[in-house]
Amino acid sequence: MRSPMSRVIPRLAAGLAVAAGALLALPAHAQAPSCPVKVGGILPLTGSMAPITKKISQAAELGFEHINQGGGIKGCPVQFVLRDDQGQPTVGVDAAKYLVEVERVAAFTGTISSGVTGPIIAAVTAPSKVVQISCCSTASGFTDGRSGGYFFRTLPTSKTQAYATASEISRRGYKKIAVIYVNTDFGTDMLRFFRQAAGKLGTDIAAEVAYNDNQPSYRAEVTRALAAKPESLLLIGFPKDAVTIVREWLSLGGPNKVALNNSMRTMDFVNGVGARFVEDFFGMDNAQVAGPHVDAFNNAFQAKWGTDSKGPGVHTQYDAVMVLGLAMNIARDLTGPSIREAVRKVHTPGGTPVGTGPAEYKKALELIKAGKPIKYYGATGPVEFDVNGDVTGPALVWKITGGKIETDRIISIEDMQSLTKRVEN
Amino acid sequence: MIGLSSYLVFFVCVVLALSLLTLGLNLQWGSTGLFNAGVAGFYAIGGYTHAILTAAPAPQYLGNFGLPWIVGVVGAMAVTALAALLIGLLTIRLRGDFLAIATFGIAILIQLVTLNLEPLTGGSQGLTRIAKPMSSVFSDPLSYNLFYLGLMAVVVGGVYLALERILASPWGRVLRAIREDETAAVALGKSAIRFRLEAFVLGSTLMGLAGAMYVGFIGFVSPFDFLPILTFQVWAMLIVGGSGNNRGALLGTLVVWAIWAASGIFVSKVVPPAHAAQGAAVQVILIGLVLVLMLLFRPRGLIGERPMVSRHLGR
Repeated sequence: MRSPMSRVIPRLAAGLAVAAGALLALPAHAQAPSCPVKVGGILPLTGSMAPITKKISQAAELGFEHINQGGGIKGCPVQFVLRDDQGQPTVGVDAAKYLVEVERVAAFTGTISSGVTGPIIAAVTAPSKVVQISCCSTASGFTDGRSGGYFFRTLPTSKTQAYATASEISRRGYKKIAVIYVNTDFGTDMLRFFRQAAGKLGTDIAAEVAYNDNQPSYRAEVTRALAAKPESLLLIGFPKDAVTIVREWLSLGGPNKVALNNSMRTMDFVNGVGARFVEDFFGMDNAQVAGPHVDAFNNAFQAKWGTDSKGPGVHTQYDAVMVLGLAMNIARDLTGPSIREAVRKVHTPGGTPVGTGPAEYKKALELIKAGKPIKYYGATGPVEFDVNGDVTGPALVWKITGGKIETDRIISIEDMQSLTKRVEN
Repeated sequence: MIGLSSYLVFFVCVVLALSLLTLGLNLQWGSTGLFNAGVAGFYAIGGYTHAILTAAPAPQYLGNFGLPWIVGVVGAMAVTALAALLIGLLTIRLRGDFLAIATFGIAILIQLVTLNLEPLTGGSQGLTRIAKPMSSVFSDPLSYNLFYLGLMAVVVGGVYLALERILASPWGRVLRAIREDETAAVALGKSAIRFRLEAFVLGSTLMGLAGAMYVGFIGFVSPFDFLPILTFQVWAMLIVGGSGNNRGALLGTLVVWAIWAASGIFVSKVVPPAHAAQGAAVQVILIGLVLVLMLLFRPRGLIGERPMVSRHLGR
């Protein structure tokens, strides 16, 4: 039986081949920068990440407002084209392809879930040579060179935190530690970097136990960790599950020497377990650098949106946008390779410091026009990318004392850098 | 102009990969009446098998054999067929919604295995550097995507013609007989279980092929590609297009995915970024609304099943 379709397909194929030939024959003419300059954005505005994305997209919006108030990009106003990835890889990749090919964005920022960022890098960013800066995707593999150097992110990766945790644990003299970690890219990265650092700093890892989130009980995981007779615990995960795990750990007789990651720096965790049980627990976080540039951002955010800027990804998203704005002004032209080179010149050693907000952006543009190097201090502190496109940052040790979360000490960027050298060499 | 064509080529490639899923489901549901709610699971097996066989070698992984693309595609189909056979032997006796629940559970199980079997699948980090066939020949993404589009069109066209052929054969008639009245088919001496199993394995193998084609196109795979929502998208595509009709399956895939993409473009054009969060919510409502309206006005799908009655009856 021959259906109409079987006659249509060869014709379609022939038509496509002709169209393809015509397309390839067209001369590839360079695009002169035309106003307005479009910059893309991809964020999960709906789906399971939507609750935290609202403030993140507001931070991005604020960033573009500051760029426009401070003089735009190469004399042009900037138009922000934001698309929703719905937390779905296929939707995110489609949106990225559309932004790059049809909207012709010069660069874009996004996204949050590593499961969406990964295919965007592989299918759009790397082959099309477009700069992408993410506020929030942590998977360690993204900056291993697969993007051709076009992918950057403004959040310190789990490496900073893992190394700092290992160093603090060794400083406190904890031996034989059990690690219970959440089975996501964040958890497995933390474990891998912690293992590497702990080995160099002389801490024995007695057991490594993975857990899947949102379970009613973690008795099996805790029992497995305790079977190795550890003297202390490192728990890497998120507060809701961590409350369950710590309760079971303590009730099964686990030692109360417990180290935690940044997510547990919340009173939900302290009150969830019960303040008197978590006395002297300590944890790590990326230090929130204080300073006028940080305050300026916080105040501007408060003034614009009527809510505080606390929350994951808010500061890093603002910096991702500002870095794009500055880099595109530094770049010779608005092609991917030029912008990629320029991103590294946003924080040049010995450059004139510039901060957040429209006035500082304007100052930066004047310096760039005069051919002088700049040194950007953003909402997350100094934004300097390493060879992989990652930022390092200072770390903060916090501890629970009398039912309150207190800052114990700060590990400065310089100390972090020497620690990194010690671990990696 | 080049930009728009470049995007459309990319878009059609994704549609063609997804349409293999819809064609597979159409064989199972449209022709045989098997309620497979585990589409994402078989898609994942195909995608991961392809990735493990063809990804560039990396010391931390057991797989990543770096084999040629075609080995990955054939391997993906073989492994998916085997998995579908095992799953089918266990579940094919279940009727209707019971089969749906079993296959739904199995798909979630498969997704969790890909998340946790880190030495093989890369866990939540995913696998990258997956072989792109002939990528060294084509310098820019557009010409490469055009090449892949041609490849994809040949594969989908071949699958479509083969499906049309076998569904018109006596084998296809038995499937429809089982769908309409299993007891009657058994009474005529047909082994319903065997035919159901054959349709299940063949349909699932197509889903495995879809996984390999999609992953080979994108060049990256992670467990987040196979969340249960994908199963429901494929069901929506089949029902909108017209269950029981292969052309309906193809058209439904195109229409539903176009609605998904176009509503996003539309919202980003009319809603300023400051209200993007609300706009995105409207987009989801739009998608739902269009799907519901389509079902209200075309309950049998855009191209419904062709009526099949014996030519002797018409006289």
